[in-house]
Amino acid sequence: MDIPGLRARARVLHALRTWFHDHGYLEVPTPVRVPSGAMEPHLHPIAASGAWLRTSPEFALKRVVAGGLPRVYEIGPCFRDQEGGSWHGDEFTMLEWYRVGAELVDLMQEVEDLVAAAASALERPAPAGWRRVGVRDLVLETTGRDVASSTAADLGGVNEGWDDAFFRLWVSEVEPQLREPVVIDEWPASQAALARVVERTAWPTAQRFEVFLGGVELANAFFELGDPVEQRRRFATANEERLALGLSPHPVDEAFVEATGRLPRCSGIALGVDRLVAALCGWPGITPGRVEVA
Amino acid sequence: MATYYSSSDIRKGLKLEIDGYPWVVVDFQFVKPGKGQAFNRVRMKNLINGNTVERTYKIVESFQAADVEEITMEYLYKDGDGFNFMNQETFEQTSIPESVVGEQASFLVENMKVQVLFYNGRAVSIDLPYFVELEITYCEPGARGNTATGTNKQATVSTGAQVGVPLFIEQGEWIKIDTRTGEYVERVKR
Repeated sequence: MDIPGLRARARVLHALRTWFHDHGYLEVPTPVRVPSGAMEPHLHPIAASGAWLRTSPEFALKRVVAGGLPRVYEIGPCFRDQEGGSWHGDEFTMLEWYRVGAELVDLMQEVEDLVAAAASALERPAPAGWRRVGVRDLVLETTGRDVASSTAADLGGVNEGWDDAFFRLWVSEVEPQLREPVVIDEWPASQAALARVVERTAWPTAQRFEVFLGGVELANAFFELGDPVEQRRRFATANEERLALGLSPHPVDEAFVEATGRLPRCSGIALGVDRLVAALCGWPGITPGRVEVA
Repeated sequence: MATYYSSSDIRKGLKLEIDGYPWVVVDFQFVKPGKGQAFNRVRMKNLINGNTVERTYKIVESFQAADVEEITMEYLYKDGDGFNFMNQETFEQTSIPESVVGEQASFLVENMKVQVLFYNGRAVSIDLPYFVELEITYCEPGARGNTATGTNKQATVSTGAQVGVPLFIEQGEWIKIDTRTGEYVERVKR
């Protein structure tokens, strides 16, 4: 047990709650045990007696937003099976917030402000020199490859699809070069998850961004999909991919899909609290801020 | 029967066979991009040539364990086929060709204990002790009083190898050599 680490974490948690309170957000705890743990193909929920442990509070919080609360947040435990390592745990603390009427640029500003507030609570300088860049430009700049005109083989993929080849290049060559705080948007449309997509361009992109701090992926934001038909189609596509990988399909959360149709225009973002504390404190991983009992 | 590991079994020190070479895992990191599959970023050292590389593998990929074994052996003698070594436990003798011993032959002396790496039952590399003490069989006479420790002249040692030594070293003296660099370390009393 690392007492300074736990104190740092407590200060950050307090600063986060204060920031949300001051900005008119309501803290809404939602169930940890849920009928469907995830939609994305590469998230592996842990079974819990006929239901699942959530991999994020996304489905429940969107139902809360659809139900009429315009600014909500939650800080709580989430679970992802088969994830472990210095920056991963199969149980971790996620912060997720939704804001009706917000565009992605609004959330970019909020995440920078929030990180500054957390740094201040730790009596550390706020990360400076935030940069905003699109995936295509970033990959071009770091690897010399234009993902918009590359096939899986061009990206170095061997017997694998475009997204796998892209991610292999990403983790081998791009991510290790991300040292400065950066917000990365315009991800390939095939990696939209629950974000809206801009289809009618030569390089169709998802309206989502990821935040990297100290070389670590900190947060992921969506301009939220508000179309139940498209939402159901994405569940189906993700499940086809899971079946192709030999994984069992995710149950479709019908109440969530139906609520998508009542979701006002909004953006939402999920942020790893363990990673935020670790990145701000300069730790080599998330362990110091956590209590381990296993 | 070959043993297989999945990428999630990877740990430091694990020996894997990849692209026809044996590798040892030096370090690894679990990485998972937001919307993609999980990967292992693996730093590994080629056990034959010592090169270190970093590669990225999907967690679902699997690997064959490298059939490697490191055995302490004693150097006996050289003959037309190569260098002869004896297993310290079984007393079995093995001849290792010059192509495998390579430059290390420069500091190999009889009765020296070396680590021999066997890959698929064949010796593929040897590791000498880090330091060896050898006699100077030839060098120019020493410059008396010159105690500068820089290596300023070439000396021949008993194995025939050339080593740079300080000016004060005399023929017939013994010196300690770092076998990894082939460099003079210090004069030793014998």
